[in-house]
Amino acid sequence: MIERIVLVARRELRAERRQPDGVVAAVTFIAVLVLLESLVVGPQIARDADVAPALFWIALAFASILATMRSFDRELEDDALEALVALPGGRDALFGGKVLALTIILGLVALVGGILSLVLLDLAVALPGQLVVVIAFGVAALPPVVILDVILALRLRARAALVPILALPVLTPHLLAASRGSAAALTGDATGAWAWAALLAAIALVYLVLGLSVAPAALD
Amino acid sequence: MGARGQRPPIGLIMRTVPSNASLHDATVVLDDRVILRTVNVIVGPGLTVVRGPNGSGKTTLLRALAGLVPLARGDRRVAGDILYIGHRPMLLRGLTARENLEFFVRFRGGDTRGIDGALRGWGIGEEMDRPVERLSAGERRRAALARVETEPVGVLLLDEPFADLDDAGASRLRQTIARVRDDGRSVVVATHAHPELDDIAGAQIALDDGVARAA
Repeated sequence: MIERIVLVARRELRAERRQPDGVVAAVTFIAVLVLLESLVVGPQIARDADVAPALFWIALAFASILATMRSFDRELEDDALEALVALPGGRDALFGGKVLALTIILGLVALVGGILSLVLLDLAVALPGQLVVVIAFGVAALPPVVILDVILALRLRARAALVPILALPVLTPHLLAASRGSAAALTGDATGAWAWAALLAAIALVYLVLGLSVAPAALD
Repeated sequence: MGARGQRPPIGLIMRTVPSNASLHDATVVLDDRVILRTVNVIVGPGLTVVRGPNGSGKTTLLRALAGLVPLARGDRRVAGDILYIGHRPMLLRGLTARENLEFFVRFRGGDTRGIDGALRGWGIGEEMDRPVERLSAGERRRAALARVETEPVGVLLLDEPFADLDDAGASRLRQTIARVRDDGRSVVVATHAHPELDDIAGAQIALDDGVARAA
């Protein structure tokens, strides 16, 4: 099972490397959104330790939806998804493989978006180690939620509109935990940063288990 | 298994034979429309040809056998692995033909050494390292059909496999189907053309408005 999940993830990453539409769209999106949001709220407010992480995580959540939708659009062209689902164990490996690959892709997007946020907003980081941990768990918790939503909406014609509507309410606890955890790391609250990071890890685990259980049946 | 030219003992609808894949009282409903109505199909070793006009349910029958559509009623039984190749090539864009086939073979735990030879046999030489979106429709079809040789499973389900193929490709496909039949594997071909397949088929299924009968 693990081997098949890794095979699906490698297939995804290889296709994304050749056709980097998802990564390019997500990086462009997060850069533009962070810049625009900071302009809209004003530079002073945008630099606030409570506001800057929220801007970053909202942008990353939308970027994750964009990258995931692109990944499944590619699968639906020429019915490639059906070839995978028809393989023995394909349904079970699809969700795990997509989660693994999109976690890596979103890690890259978060790295670029994070550096841009730090530079554009001139942020000081009190606890860089804890910030990295919060971002790592925050990134890991995004794909299970978004991929499960995309799979549930896969056969719907209006999925481009429905996926954000389905995903964003479910992502609210994640966005809250990730924003508060990042703010804690920026301001030097180590206890708060660890606590929010632990919550993000729990969210990632819960949705990973839920997705592995539900996704194979949902693919019917 | 009978020699070439003889009809092998292949399953017919409602007949008790060694079965590799079967549907029992299967009903498929998609978008509130009944596509298959209480279908009983038993696929044994050899070639089974599924015929019927457009919209009669040929594709849905194959997808039901492959487990790709949920059954509203009835059940599906399969012995061993299935290879389903639909009327689109089912290859992931962004990957080359070789990478696509390697993925499928590795996923099944098979040996990837035969992939280059299989692709060359189907006329995909230098093109095997091009992303599939840069291949012609016929080349993508050939690359997809090379899976028949690289994934030696017990049951093959081919939906309109002659689409996009030139004469040489169609000839190669006929030879491949005959070889698979002679190997004792099951191959089900859905097509509304190619009557020459009837000569080597052990069974025929005629579909009309979702109702199947032995032809």
